[in-house]
Amino acid sequence: MREFWNPYAPPDPQRRRLLGVGSVLALLLLWSAVAASGLVSATKLPAPWQVVSAFGYLAWNDGQSMLLTATLWSVGRLIVAGLLVILIGIPIGIVMGAAPQVNAALSPLVDPFRSAPVVALLPILVMWMGIGESMKIAFLFIGAVVYLIPMVRDAIQAVPQSYWIGARDLGATPWECIRSAVVPMAMPRIADAVIVAFSVMWTYITVAEYVNAREGLGQLIQNARRFSAWDQVFAGIMVIIALALATYQLMIWLKRRLYPWETQQ
Amino acid sequence: MNTAVAAAKPAETAGATSVSVVVKDIVQEYPAETGGVTRVIDRVTLSFDKPGINMLLGPSGCGKSTLLHMLGGVRPMGVRTPTSGSVLIDGSECQGAHDDSVMVFQRYANRPDLSVFDNVAFPFRLKLWKSRVPEAEWRQRVADMLKAVGLADKAGLRPAQLSGGQNQRVALARALVLRPKILLMDEPFGALDAQTREEMQRLLIDLYRSWPCLVVFVTHDVTEALMLGDRVIVLSTQPARVADDFVVGEARPRSAAWQRSAEAQGLEERILNQLHASPGKGQVRVTI
Repeated sequence: MREFWNPYAPPDPQRRRLLGVGSVLALLLLWSAVAASGLVSATKLPAPWQVVSAFGYLAWNDGQSMLLTATLWSVGRLIVAGLLVILIGIPIGIVMGAAPQVNAALSPLVDPFRSAPVVALLPILVMWMGIGESMKIAFLFIGAVVYLIPMVRDAIQAVPQSYWIGARDLGATPWECIRSAVVPMAMPRIADAVIVAFSVMWTYITVAEYVNAREGLGQLIQNARRFSAWDQVFAGIMVIIALALATYQLMIWLKRRLYPWETQQ
Repeated sequence: MNTAVAAAKPAETAGATSVSVVVKDIVQEYPAETGGVTRVIDRVTLSFDKPGINMLLGPSGCGKSTLLHMLGGVRPMGVRTPTSGSVLIDGSECQGAHDDSVMVFQRYANRPDLSVFDNVAFPFRLKLWKSRVPEAEWRQRVADMLKAVGLADKAGLRPAQLSGGQNQRVALARALVLRPKILLMDEPFGALDAQTREEMQRLLIDLYRSWPCLVVFVTHDVTEALMLGDRVIVLSTQPARVADDFVVGEARPRSAAWQRSAEAQGLEERILNQLHASPGKGQVRVTI
């Protein structure tokens, strides 16, 4: 207990895992107790075991897996939108960070969208692009890119000027300074921006798939809701959370592999 | 050490590279917080016309780094430098960063994502040097240079795996591997502990012997100035003016006995008198 109020003394890994698993189990226990006691009706809060059985049903029923199909569709949309976010958002962010005049011109167009209700754009996108795939991809793209661009710009601007001056002194052209001194130093933070962008897209995937989707996790949840199959809604939400978490862990691992020097500094 | 230095010695270009640097009537002013302007450098005129280690000694914050940065064409943002006066290198006015000089900063700008080898090789991947030095040659030069600074066995490590002194060796190697005519050093050893600082001074003397160029070395350490300099230029407190300018004849490396000699003591006293004569708040360091 001596180390309880000490932010610099993290618990050892075993204890940390114990505490983490413990809190999840505690919540499950509380949930089970509430469901079993009948305090809340099963139509409002399905019991954990009902969710598990709904998960089983979605995962395999009648020779097919609705869950797998839905997951593949959602992941597919996420990957396409994610690639667009990376290919378009990162260069824009780099240019904005590297050229203050471009930043001055573009930031009034980009920054307000960080706090804009992107969901409110959905009807407009539907009007412009119809209700097909391109609308869904565009929605995910816009939702994520408005976060990514300012983060990439800030990552560039956060690189200490000494790297720029040092490269300049060695004879680098301004563009070479950006390309071979500033951008490499900003890469770990740019990777953070990509990780955030993917998290944001996972939160928006259900919204994107509410409109006229025949496949996808959002549609699966929406469909279950229509039939008041709350156990399936819960199962669907948990699958999304699990996938978002897995994406996050995978990208963190990738980032550590690519930029091991960041933590050594 | 000596064999390593010999290895770094470029056989075909060994010896002095001649260059002339003239600093003429330099004035530098910055907008002051209270309005008006603060003059940090006041009509400084200096000329360097042969290889040698020239120490720019002055109290901290006197404007000596600003002056050094002007020689390298490194300009601070948003301010016209110099306010008036000119820097002439081999007779032509220095406008911006130029290829004749390389600077070593106090905060070594080593790239944490590159290995020691790639840090030293960094300039050769820039267009300017790529076109001048073929790859086989620069690879050899980098390898020789790493040997010369005693880091041959550390070529594959990253800067985070090195000590402060070793990092500064990397920065020094990256500068000298370009065989510059002018080597500008901005308090390069200021952040190091006393023992490492002495090691680095010895290394600089060795490296200078194998590549005698025009070194302009900024320091606020009186002892460092006397142990390293062929010439010591004393700048007054802000605004910086040339308070004194003299030659130290003693051959390097200078012994501890010389440091205690009447000559060295006399020079030290002369410097301190000059600095005390100009009122101000800057500090100098004496470690004798």
